[in-house]
Order: sequence, then structure tokens, then C-alpha cells
Amino acid sequence: MPTWTRGFDINIMRKKRDRRHIRLQERFHWIALLQEGWSIYRRNLLGRIGMVLLALFGIMALCSFIPPMIDPMYHPMTGVDPDIPSTTGPCVKHWLGTDYMGRDLLSQLLAGARVAFMVGVSAAFMSIFLGTAIGMIAGYMGKILDTLLMRLADVIMVMPTLLVVLILSSLFGQLNIWTIVLIIALFRWPGVSRVIRAQTLSLKQRPFIDAARVAGASHLRIIFRHIMPNVLPLSFLYMTFRVTSAIIIEAALAFLGFGDPGTVSWGMMLQWVWKTGNMFKALYWLLPPGICISLITLSFYMLGRAMDEVLDPRLREEEQAG
Amino acid sequence: MALLEVENLSVGYGTRRGYLRAVEQVSFSVEEGRSLGFVGESGCGKTTIGMALLGLLPSNGRVVGGRIIFEGEDLLKKGEEEMRKIRWNKISMIFQAAMNALNPVQRVQDQIVEAILTHNPDMQKEKALERVAHLFHLVGIPEQRMKDYPHQYSGGMKQRAIIAMALSCNPRLVIADEPTTALDVIVQHQILEETKHLQRELNLSIIFISHDISIAADVCDEMGIMYAGQLVECGSTQEVFSSPRHPYTRALLASYPTLTGGRRDLAPIPGETCNLISPPSGCRFCDRCPGAMGTCMSETLTWMEITPTHRVLCFHCGKG
Amino acid sequence: MKNTDPPILKLENVSKIFGIKGSLFSRTRKKVTALNRISLSLYHGEIFGLVGESGSGKTTAGRLIVGLDRPEEGSIFLDGLEITDLKSREWRNHRRRVQMIFQDPYQSLNPQLSIFESISEPLIIHKVGDGEERRTRVKEALKMVGLSPPEDFMYRYPHQLSGGQRQRVAISRAMVLEPELLIADEPTSMLDASYSAQIFNILLELRNTFSVTILFVTHSLAAARYLCDRIAVIYRGSLMESGPADQVIGNPKHPYTQALIDALPKFGQSGKVKRYETLLKVERKVSEPVGCSFFIRCNKAHEGRCRLEIPPLKATGPDHFAACFYV
Repeated sequence: MPTWTRGFDINIMRKKRDRRHIRLQERFHWIALLQEGWSIYRRNLLGRIGMVLLALFGIMALCSFIPPMIDPMYHPMTGVDPDIPSTTGPCVKHWLGTDYMGRDLLSQLLAGARVAFMVGVSAAFMSIFLGTAIGMIAGYMGKILDTLLMRLADVIMVMPTLLVVLILSSLFGQLNIWTIVLIIALFRWPGVSRVIRAQTLSLKQRPFIDAARVAGASHLRIIFRHIMPNVLPLSFLYMTFRVTSAIIIEAALAFLGFGDPGTVSWGMMLQWVWKTGNMFKALYWLLPPGICISLITLSFYMLGRAMDEVLDPRLREEEQAG
Repeated sequence: MALLEVENLSVGYGTRRGYLRAVEQVSFSVEEGRSLGFVGESGCGKTTIGMALLGLLPSNGRVVGGRIIFEGEDLLKKGEEEMRKIRWNKISMIFQAAMNALNPVQRVQDQIVEAILTHNPDMQKEKALERVAHLFHLVGIPEQRMKDYPHQYSGGMKQRAIIAMALSCNPRLVIADEPTTALDVIVQHQILEETKHLQRELNLSIIFISHDISIAADVCDEMGIMYAGQLVECGSTQEVFSSPRHPYTRALLASYPTLTGGRRDLAPIPGETCNLISPPSGCRFCDRCPGAMGTCMSETLTWMEITPTHRVLCFHCGKG
Repeated sequence: MKNTDPPILKLENVSKIFGIKGSLFSRTRKKVTALNRISLSLYHGEIFGLVGESGSGKTTAGRLIVGLDRPEEGSIFLDGLEITDLKSREWRNHRRRVQMIFQDPYQSLNPQLSIFESISEPLIIHKVGDGEERRTRVKEALKMVGLSPPEDFMYRYPHQLSGGQRQRVAISRAMVLEPELLIADEPTSMLDASYSAQIFNILLELRNTFSVTILFVTHSLAAARYLCDRIAVIYRGSLMESGPADQVIGNPKHPYTQALIDALPKFGQSGKVKRYETLLKVERKVSEPVGCSFFIRCNKAHEGRCRLEIPPLKATGPDHFAACFYV
């Protein structure tokens, strides 16, 4: 155990019965849980690789604010190098080269990282929020409400997200990035809700739910106090999977020309390469965004797989018997 | 010579929290045609002993000391191939909650035939079926139920089928781990009666593992009381029951409600079981024992003989 | 301990039928009768044992009394008030009076809540006291079940406690609202003998200190004898015998009770115990069981009457009843 936690030895806690120390003991449990989870996670090779990659992308996203501050010509959208009218390869001034308008590719790549995180995490978060809420309610309330919600989920699940967004944008014109995020969220919750519903159904049978009912708890209280905490770990796990699909959908939309034209994303970069006919001529332009999309989805996936091991109930059983 | 002799067996499990000493220096013997019961509460190591005898410990468990001598040979020195020949043919096991181990999509007779043929590849299928019929008759399942599926059997019948499977290759020793836990009282009684009957008829040796001392006492000739991985008392059932010496045995007997005798005199055992990852080097019952002395926890324990068939793992209990 | 006061709990001809849905293509729904017109009365301050094997309906009876399920037929009265058909909102008022302890201590506590949070939950739901008072009550509740000092246990989580300790926490959670009636549903069947003994003694102490009435549901006659004042034996949804514990066990009248007593391991019991031999070796083959539910296994049964008629509870002594034509 790391040195800084040694002071919170539980035997010392027992001897000092102050309120302050009892509070620390409460907090200690969360720290202990996180530490335990972290030690399991750390041993997983995939998790380590995933973490490193994500950290890299995170740094890229943070650094995306730097280039425009150095020189306005480095702005990903509007920065135009007056000396370079068209696409050029990597050079001293532009480390990755420029696009067809003379905009710096590296700053575009960094901005794309920022957008990927934004889109990925917000879309995932929203779809998890919806999916968890609906899954819990359907599983707990059962009967007609359950049937209705699950049939709704079925209907949405079979609709191809991409196609719907394409149709919507052809009807309403170019869509704002946040609208895209909202639509992704609205089409992605059914998968989560099914899993959460199954988990809720199994939790509903457990005696501690009966015990809460006998104590007089209302349905709402049972859902929020008893079911939700037991279901949230699964939600977080699924969030990592949702991030990957959100990023890919956004990239695909941008590539096909239906993205937000005011936002620079990797998909948008790919679209520009393709539209200007530079696909096979300017590899320095084509490869970076493509590789980034692949790598970021891969790293989120690895994160999810490692978290799976942390949350696996088999590990919890070992704790009880020990 | 005894059929099975175990000397100073020690088994441990590697867990994330540390090395768990599940069984510590356990020695016992089983004669041919006699039954030995292992009684103890959950976590005392009795199931571990059963699995260690057959080499069926999970991947994080290993035998760290001692010898298991069956028919004159040390089982611990045998490789997996040799152990496979012994399992089922010489020693078979009835696991906990075994009735759930029946394959729901296969007929019961087919499952037993499969068990027989796996261990006797040269046998003809017809002979195997004959054997199954004979076994069913032995355990008391009507022959016309042979072709049924497990879900058509009641709990008691499933358990009988499991017993039939365990006896299918004519073993000399059967290890039964809590064979009646999930059954109703009346069915349990019937199964136990039949177990005794089978033992006499086939001259079987049985190791009967249970948490319920009264059930084990009903079936077994000899009893071993286990606590926290140590065998604390061992002797004939009569001796252990009528004159228990070890404080844990006494406390265990005193915590069972009886049908006759005085009411209102149950005495629970105070405290909790010791941590098996860092147990005291001496007696593990120390912190809950009414007669504990300061030295109990650290002194190495030796067996005290009360009669040639009754021994106790305690310094203070052997006398008087 | 029967007295002339009205009973604190009364079940009158209560039936519970579970309908198992057939497949999409079958018309008939298979019905399982868990309880068949049961009548019981419990008096204030007594410990009443409901003894039966699995499938007898004893757990269902407990669940009906605490409102987790509703009976199809019959009425349940709590201290004179009918609680059979109450809506969930009306049940709230009665929650403080009747509580339950569940069989599985490993599943009856929410693993995400600390012990303090689990025990204080009923107090929060019923808005009892403020934070400080709740803390005091929880400590008292923990001391009541022998988990002392309470500060050691309050902030731990269920997986850090043993089965016996968890069950004690469940008891203190049930008692924190000071209910008048406690349903203990096989509280020790998943615990080792030494922990079971602790639980029994705690229940006895609770009754002696707080005069709480306890309905002790169990499959063990010996445990019922130790703990209970009166016992009722239930088989396949019907009461077979009821009366004072000593009487029912020492002098059982119903063939099923006698079969249960025969089946218990006898080794180590002081004194020779009588054998009744009321079980048939092979069960009778009956197509439509309409009479006594024990008919197929009873060797004292008469073909005509027992098969076709359900025997009523007949008095065989003061307060001792058996549902058999031939006692």
C-alpha cells in the first residue's frame, strides 16, 4: 500500500472514536474501493495501453488551444498561411503540412482530438443517462410500462442511425455539432437500456429489495437508493463502449459531408482530403486523421475491457470467502 | 492396513489477500468398510480435504505437506493420468449440491452410462445399461424411471441418481460432501438410511462431510471435528458424542437444539473464527475457548490420546 | 401464553394461488396453491413457530402478513384491523408495526450501503428523529443484538461481516422501528450452528425485553421446540397440527408430524425417542388429489374418507388441534 494511506490504518481508527475520525473511515471505504479497482486495472495489459493512448489524446486535446495563440495563421479553421496557397507536405513551419486552403494540419489534428472527446463523451453520457433511467424504470415497474418501453427500444434499435441523420440533415440542412450529439444519444440508448433492465430485473428479486419494501420505502426510493447504485458500475462500463460508437458516427457523418461545417473534426479532415481529390496524393494529410480515429476508438475499447475485469462479480466473490 | 491413511496433510490457497492456510497438519485413517464423518462449520476445511484427496483442488490451491496413502500408495506422488484412473474407479465423490450437476438435456441413464464407459472404455454399452439397472435397484429408484430426464425427478430421486453415479464403477471409497443439505427432512432421513444400508451391503468406506453433527453421527462409525483447518478431535462416534473433550466439540454440541432434554439451554460460541491468512501458530480456537491459557496460541499442538480410538488436539483436555 | 386478549395477528381462511402462465399456445394456466384456507391466531408477546418443509407455503404466509404479496381468498387482521386489501399508501401506517427478517443474510443487505445506512433507512422513511437521534437509535439497535461497540460496525459494509453478524444487522434493522410483530423467515437456515444459537438467543431476549410477538418460520422442529411457545405444522399449504410446543412435539397427533419426528437424527438425544412409523414405503398413486394433502404418503389413511374429504382441525386436547379424521 502506498505510504500516504498508511496513516488510515483501521486499527488506529478503532482506538480513536472521535467523530472526525469516523468520517475519515467512511471516506476510507471509497478510497479502498478505488484503490482495489485500480490495482486490478493496472495489471491488465490492455488497460495500461488504453490509458497511455488516451492520455496522449487528452494532451493533444488540451494542446489544441496553443497553436492559435502562437500565431493566428495556425488556427485550424480560419488560419491561412499567406505564403502557401495550396496543400503542401510537412515542413519547419507546418509540422504536418497544410491542407488545400493553406491551413495548418497539426492544429487541425489537435482540434479534432478535442472534438472527438467532446462528442464522444457527451453523446455517450447522454445515451447512458437515458438508457439507464429507462432501463431501470422498465425493469422495476414491469408490466405495461416495461412492454411499451422495450418495444420503443426495439423500434429505435433497428433504425440505422446514420441513415436517419442523413435524412434529417437533407431535410433541415447542415446540422450543428450539438444536434448531432443529441441525435446520436437518442439513437443509442436502447442497447444500454436492455442491459440495465436485465440487471434491474435480477436485482428486483434480491431480498434486500423486499426488505426495503417491508421497511416502507416508496418505489422511487427503491429505484434511486437501492437499484441505481448497484446498476451504475455497469452503466459506466457501457459508457466506454458508447464513446467509440459516437466518435465513429460523427466521423462518418463528417466524412460524408453531413457534419457541422464550422467544426474541425477528423472526419471533416477526411472529407476535405477526399473532396479536393487529394486522397492518394497527399498521404501526410490523409493518414493522420484516419490513424487517430482508429487509435482513439481502440483505446476506449481497451479501457472498457479492462474495466470489465474490475467490475466482474467473480472478483467480488473472492472477497467474501477470504 | 487401513484403506486410506492421511498423514499431516496441509493445504493452502493463494488469494489476493495472501496465502490462506485452509488445512493444517490433518491426520486420519479410514478402514475398509467403515465410515468417517468430518464435521465442522463453513470454512473449516472439510471440503478442501475431500478435494485434495482426489486431486481436484482449484487452480489456486495446492497441497503443501503430508502424505495421502491409499491402498499402500501415496496419491500425492501420482500424476494426472494415474489419478484419473483412480477417480471414480477406486475413489468417487458426491459433491455439494450435486443434484444440480445432472445435465438437464440428457436422460439420467445415459449420464450414468457415460460415466461408466468413460472409466471403462472396454465395456459394452449393453453391459453398462445392465449395471445402471442394477444400481437403480440398489439405490431404490424404480426401473421404469431410468429413461426420464432430471427435471422429472424429485429432489430425493436426483440425489439417489447421483449416489448411483458415484457407485457406478465399484469404488472402494466414497467421499460424500453434504449430500443431503438441500433435501427435506423426511427425504434426508430416507437417503441416510439407504446410505447406511449400501455401506453394509457393498462393504464401502465412506468419508461423510457435513456441517450438521447429528446427521454425521447417525451415519458414521467414526467422527472427526474440524475447526479452522485443524482436526481438533477424532474418535468413534460414541466416544465423541458421549464424552467430548475438546472445548469446541463441547461448544458445538451445546449449540444444537434438541428434541428431548432440557429446553432453554443453548449456549452459542462467542467471538468469530480466526483469520486463516494469519492464524495463530498454535491452537486456532484459542480466542473463543473458555479454558484458554496464555500459551495455547503459540505452542505447537500435539495429539493427546484419551483412549486408543479417541484423540484430542489440546494440552488441557487430555487429562482427566 | 394464550390469554383472553384479542390476538395481535389473525389469519382467516387465507389462500394464495400462484398462476404459472402456460405457453403462448396453451389455454390453461397451471395453478399452484401455495396456501389453502389457512387460519392462525397469534397472541401478544408469544413466539409462534410455523414449521414446514420446502414448498409447504410457510414463507408465503410470512410474505402475505408483511404485505409483500396479497392473498386470493380470506382475511388478515393486524390487531383487529383488516390489512388484506390495503393499498400501498395505506400500508405505510402499518409498516412500523410489523417487520421481517429474511432467510439469506448474504442477500438481505444492500451491498452498496454501509451498516449505518441500512439500519437508519427505516427511520428516514418514517421520518423518525433528526440525524443525531437516528445515530443514537442505530447504536442502540446494534447493541441490542450484541454488536458492541456499535462504532466498530456502523461504518463497515456487509461484505466485511460474517453471515452471523449480517443476520444480526438484519435483526437490528427490523427492530429499529420497534415493531409489535416480527416475522422471522428461516433466519438461521443459512448459518452455522454456533451462529444460529446466537440468533435464537437474541430473538428470545427481544421477546423478553420488548414483548415483541415473533412468528418463527422454520423447517426445524428442534429449533421450534427451543424457541417457541406454540407451534403449527404446515404441509402443502394446509395446517396439519397446532398447539403448545411441548405438546405437539412430545405427543404429536397428526401422522405427518409423527413422520417429521421420526425423520430427525436421533443420535445423541438423551433418552430413547419413540418411533411412529406413519410413512408409506411407496407413495399411493392418486390421479386427482382432492382430500387430505398427506393422503398419498400416510399409512394410517383410509381409502374412502381421506382421499375425498379435507379433514378439519379437530381438538385433541386443550388448545391442541390436528387435521385428521383418525386421532
